[in-house]
Amino acid sequence: MRADFNLYVRRDTWLHRLDPRVKLAFVVEATALLFLWPSIWMAVGMVAFCSIVLWLTHIPAVQIGRAWRTLAPLMLMVFVLTALFGGGPGQVLFPIGPLKVTIGATYRGALLATRLLALALIFFFWLFTTDQAAMVRGFLALRIPYDWGLTLALALRYLPIFAGLFQQVREAQQARGLDLEQRSFWQRLNAYRPVLVAMVISALRHSERLGWALEARALGTRGVRRSVFRPLRLRGIDVLVLIFLTLTLIGGITLRVL
Amino acid sequence: MTADIIVHNLHYSYPPLTPDGDPVPVLNGVNLEVQQGEFVALLGRVGAGKTTLCMTLNGLVPHATGGIFRGEVTVLGLNTKEHPVADMARSVGMVFQDPESQLVQMRVEDEVAFGPENLGVPTAEIEKRVNWALKAVGLADYRDRSPLLLSGGEKQRVAIASMLAMYPRVLVLDEPTASLDPEGKAAVFNVLSDLCSEHQITVFMATQELERIARFADRVIVLHEGQVALNGPPAEVFQHVAELQAWGLGVPQLVELGHVLSQHTGQSYRFTSMSDAYRQLRRQARKVRMRKSQGPFPPPPSRAANPLAALSQIVVENLSYTYADGTPALRDVDLVLPPGEFVAILGPNGSGKTTLAKHFDGLLKPTAGRVLIERRDTRTTRVAELARLVGYVFQNPDHQIFAPTVREEITFGPRIQELPVTIASQRVDDVMARFRLTPYAELPPALLGFGQRRQVALAAVIVTQPKVIILDEPTGGLDGRSRQELLEVVASFNVLGRTVILITHDMRLVAEYANRAIVLLNGRILFDGPPRALFRQPEILAQAGLALPPITRLADRLEAEGMAAGMLSSAEFAAAWQARLPVKHKRKKKARRTTGKESTSDAG
Repeated sequence: MRADFNLYVRRDTWLHRLDPRVKLAFVVEATALLFLWPSIWMAVGMVAFCSIVLWLTHIPAVQIGRAWRTLAPLMLMVFVLTALFGGGPGQVLFPIGPLKVTIGATYRGALLATRLLALALIFFFWLFTTDQAAMVRGFLALRIPYDWGLTLALALRYLPIFAGLFQQVREAQQARGLDLEQRSFWQRLNAYRPVLVAMVISALRHSERLGWALEARALGTRGVRRSVFRPLRLRGIDVLVLIFLTLTLIGGITLRVL
Repeated sequence: MTADIIVHNLHYSYPPLTPDGDPVPVLNGVNLEVQQGEFVALLGRVGAGKTTLCMTLNGLVPHATGGIFRGEVTVLGLNTKEHPVADMARSVGMVFQDPESQLVQMRVEDEVAFGPENLGVPTAEIEKRVNWALKAVGLADYRDRSPLLLSGGEKQRVAIASMLAMYPRVLVLDEPTASLDPEGKAAVFNVLSDLCSEHQITVFMATQELERIARFADRVIVLHEGQVALNGPPAEVFQHVAELQAWGLGVPQLVELGHVLSQHTGQSYRFTSMSDAYRQLRRQARKVRMRKSQGPFPPPPSRAANPLAALSQIVVENLSYTYADGTPALRDVDLVLPPGEFVAILGPNGSGKTTLAKHFDGLLKPTAGRVLIERRDTRTTRVAELARLVGYVFQNPDHQIFAPTVREEITFGPRIQELPVTIASQRVDDVMARFRLTPYAELPPALLGFGQRRQVALAAVIVTQPKVIILDEPTGGLDGRSRQELLEVVASFNVLGRTVILITHDMRLVAEYANRAIVLLNGRILFDGPPRALFRQPEILAQAGLALPPITRLADRLEAEGMAAGMLSSAEFAAAWQARLPVKHKRKKKARRTTGKESTSDAG
């Protein structure tokens, strides 16, 4: 019932207080480094670094555990499939029927899986520590048009509401005898049709009213330049982190090129 | 001084619903004026055009809706036809019924700041306005919270604050309390009342809250057949009891009592408030030396003992339920419901009412304990099978309506039950006739008004003839007559020996219809018994945030004067009051009645 797509965890740490643009810069840089360096040690290092950062943000272990659990099947799948079908050079570890599992493919599988984990942790750090309003303000500060920012904010805001709506509509239909516990995929898909129709009608009503509400809040007033309630300002710690990020990026690229 | 709002000869029709249809006329020559700082309540049936009239005041009608607009609406000197909505928004705030569709941010303070940002107000000034607006609605400590996680009443107060931060002089509200619990409603009305008196803000509010209008509003405007039919202070407007009832609108319960008492006794009773009613009746009681109460008051005949009380249709044993996120919703609930009961489930929002009811049709499965419906364990029975026994009418009709026409919508249940076509279509026709939906049979339900959509939703459940029917807040936002009609259908369903379970905040409804009340608080049963017994337990009522119906409160206050306490309806009160009148007085009245008033002679 309480579907919520907001991963933000409210804590008062210096990492939470960082300017959203700085956090975005970290995401971009960490991703770049990860792909610049096709080494499993880089990926493992990044996983370790992100884990320390997440630990510093005081995010409850349960939440981080949940992130790991969500990723585990995907990582396993990437690893197994790459190892089986990746082919590639190197000594054959063992053959399975016509497939040969080579050392090269196994290494690549491990690299891809670890990279996936590192990438996910980088983004989790961003999502766990940045509330959605700050995220949107960060985008706006990067000169993304206000309408886009507002659209993103509304989408984030309404995802949980529409998820809740879907649940309510589904229950209302089930209570009228609609059998959603049928077996075959197509039967189930067909059974969901009334749910989707009711859902679309509700969503349309909702968005019509939302449009009115936005107009009533003076959105799009002629001849007015929008002001900002909480403007973003870089503070000392933000500048320090930016310097650190720049240095590591330059260092990384230099090492890679040499 | 010119009025803040001037509506002159306003005619409005919505665009046709279907491509080849006619425009739909709603307003038909509305004239009204509202002065600065007035608190005006707009009353009218569901579909009378209240929302439309509200939306003309900031120009949403006709700028956003289209349609045919004639006449003039001038708000603070601006003609709404000539100014776009966003410009009107500088001075006219608008709060809608559904808080979900007007809150757009993830933090309360961002929400409140959103309007001023759109107006280009400087940052330092926005900060000041956010502080002021949140303080004005009593949410100063909520700046950092997510609007998603607030209660309905709090959300609506945030919506009001986000309008206030734009410094409007006029605040228009369209049924802002329709989906709130009593506590939320009281908070919103208190805030509005303060805004009028302390900040000279003009409040124009469409609402069905009769009792609160009588207490808070300076003026009531009644909209009937597209025109202003009555316009004046509440005490004056509500004296037109006969007209208001004929138009399908109710009156506050004490006004109704005055009317019924006048009919019963032949004397004239007019009550404007609780203290007024108390004073008048006490004076009369002392003057004519009323006879003292004669023992316990006999229960009225409609509440006869349930002959099936020994049977058990729904058995709840040790039921606990915990949501996936670990929030406990129900704890150790034990309950036995025999068939044929009319049960009201009461309690504040979040007390577990809906969660409990969803266990009765298997939509939720117990975390611990079990629920048996006609000896079937809900843990092992499919929802589709339970749906044949238990019908559930959800709070929002739009969540269950999906078919292209009203007829198909109502046919859905019988078709799923695989009834023979002839029987099914006969049943569908009967139900449509009973709900007066036959003229709309081939129309898409989405085009009907809210009251009718609610009836479609109820009809679609009743047509399957379940043994138990659950109604979740069925009367929110309905006018007097729609409410009455809906409850009559439900009561006639109950008379056939079928069980009715009603989730509600409406204590007047509980008093008039239910024979058993279950009060939930924090997932536990706080009270289980007849409503009359509940009404005698002020500490339980206070704990659960429930308020007695005015009539019950009045009778309790008059207990010292010989009145029987625990009255449930105006008719019961009037009968009891008359029984206490001295014989001499009664004889005089009888003599008078035989000379002329035959219509009321059954009252003695």
